[in-house]
Amino acid sequence: MTEIPVALTVILSVGTAAAVALALLLARSAREAKRLRQRSATAEKDLQDALRQQAALAGRAQATEAEVRHLAAARAPDLTAALAHPNVPVRGLLDPNFQGTELDRALTAVLEQVSNAVTKERLRVDGAAQASMRGATTTIQALLYQLQTRLQTMQERYDDPFVAEDLLAADFLNEQALRRIQSTAIVCGAWPGLTRQNSHLGDIVVGAMSRLSGYERVQVTNQLRDPVGVVARAVEPGAVVLTELLANALHYSHPELPVAVTIQQGNRGASVIIDDAGVGMHAEEMERAQRMMSGQETTLLTELGDPPKTGFAAVGQLARQYGFTASVEPSPYGGVRAIVHIPGDPLLTLLDEEEQPMSPMAPVPRSNASAAPPVPSTLPGHAVPQRPPQSEPAAGTAASAYAQAGQDAAQQGAPSDEDLPRRRRRRPAPDATLGAAPGAGQVPAEEAPQSQSTGRHAQPPQAPQQPQASPEQSAERWAAFQRGTNSGRAAVDEGTEAGGANPASAAPSPHHGFAVADDHYADPRSAEGNPQE
Amino acid sequence: MTPPPRDGRRLVPAYLATTGRARPSRNTLDRLTVLHGAADPATVSGLRPEEIRLLELLRGGALSLAEAAAHLRLPVSVVKVLVADLVDAGRLMARAPIPDAELPERQILEKVLNGLRTLKSS
Repeated sequence: MTEIPVALTVILSVGTAAAVALALLLARSAREAKRLRQRSATAEKDLQDALRQQAALAGRAQATEAEVRHLAAARAPDLTAALAHPNVPVRGLLDPNFQGTELDRALTAVLEQVSNAVTKERLRVDGAAQASMRGATTTIQALLYQLQTRLQTMQERYDDPFVAEDLLAADFLNEQALRRIQSTAIVCGAWPGLTRQNSHLGDIVVGAMSRLSGYERVQVTNQLRDPVGVVARAVEPGAVVLTELLANALHYSHPELPVAVTIQQGNRGASVIIDDAGVGMHAEEMERAQRMMSGQETTLLTELGDPPKTGFAAVGQLARQYGFTASVEPSPYGGVRAIVHIPGDPLLTLLDEEEQPMSPMAPVPRSNASAAPPVPSTLPGHAVPQRPPQSEPAAGTAASAYAQAGQDAAQQGAPSDEDLPRRRRRRPAPDATLGAAPGAGQVPAEEAPQSQSTGRHAQPPQAPQQPQASPEQSAERWAAFQRGTNSGRAAVDEGTEAGGANPASAAPSPHHGFAVADDHYADPRSAEGNPQE
Repeated sequence: MTPPPRDGRRLVPAYLATTGRARPSRNTLDRLTVLHGAADPATVSGLRPEEIRLLELLRGGALSLAEAAAHLRLPVSVVKVLVADLVDAGRLMARAPIPDAELPERQILEKVLNGLRTLKSS
């Protein structure tokens, strides 16, 4: 009997132990399960994250690919087009989110490389084209010059009117061909191909217009006061510049409208102003022309259109190389006004008209043309051929105005033979006023040159002795100088009854000249060249 | 009377003087035609520069057409046109050159001599 409780106890205890153990196990497994649940949750979350990330990456990769495709398909072609035609816009990034990223920088670098390569290649190809053009034009130009010489000799040789007329026509055609070749050559970097001697500005202007068909429409007005010439090295370039601008004016205006050209002398140089009443230019064209004529940027043949319009580019090249200034602006006549300024300092010189007369076709200076018979030659400046125009700062216009006033007075005084010609002097006497105040010199004093001039005209005032002479003072001096030399010439011309061996000191008696002969002009040229038999 | 030296290439071509014409309006002119300005020189307004210069050139006295051409440095054919225009306009006189005083022909002189001798001997 005893065994049963023992056994029971044992069993119970074992059971208890087992229960405890089980309970422990249970608790543990519950913890385990909980942990597992947590872990799986995080794993799931991680997985979600990873999936999202992957999706984002895939999207990004797709965007990058699209960006690269965009570069190849749109941006690079845009860029090459823009290099050829600056108005084409170049598209940017497809996705603005890439702005500033590594990808953006890489793509920009690609575009830059492309741009550099294209630009270099273009320059190289254009250079090659220019070189071949230069080669061709140089030869053709030389041949055309030979032809010109030949035609000129033939013009001298053959008197037959029909032959002569054909020769003149051939000469004209040759000039037009030369002009085309020359401007092409210049755009291609060649030099004008010809050196001339110092030439009158008026000659250059008419020479330029003679190279264009329709030159009959060009009306040149010469307002130069002095025989202004252009130094040798700038003569042909100047002629080319004027030719191209005149061609523009003639081409873009109605074939019956005149083109007005004015040659003006300023204090610091001379200007040629070309006005047409044609169709004009847009602001944009004007701006482009201005840019090209400044000569600051290199011009490519490929940028000049097809066929290339070489005019403004040639002007720009020459302006840069020789120091002209050329500009265009809307003309008061409704078309375009082109102004070429030739700086006096390196490019102008005064020419002696006796040694080197102007071409007969050159426009007669205004002072000469407007001076009606009773006035001696009023071309100033003979006596001081070395004087560069800019060395008399403000005296220029004033001097001519005074000279003009003097002429007017002389004209008024001239009509009757009884009346001595009276001149309005701007100053009483040269010796008295060289250092006098300008105010005193302003008073016009009438005097009869016949009676009083011996002493007064005796010495023409020399170049200003005081460096600080006022403009009015120096204007007076030059004007007096010019009058003195002119009247001296007149006196010598008519047989020197005034007894002046020295033209500067001769007493002028111009009215005798008028009465005796029709020697009104006393032109130095006719004095020099005319047999006067 | 040498023309001024022509150095260098001409800048202004000759056709500019007559706008390409070389057929004068009258064909009585030749190289030796003597030109002189009209008696009363009217104003030069309305004339082209080359015409003004030609008239100026003739102010000092008469010149032959060839000489005038040399002074103007233009071909004779062109100057003929200029002159013809100016003559038409009455601004210029042109006359044929006065030939040198001609000696009588030798035959005539001999005949006269023979006649005189026969007079004397008879």
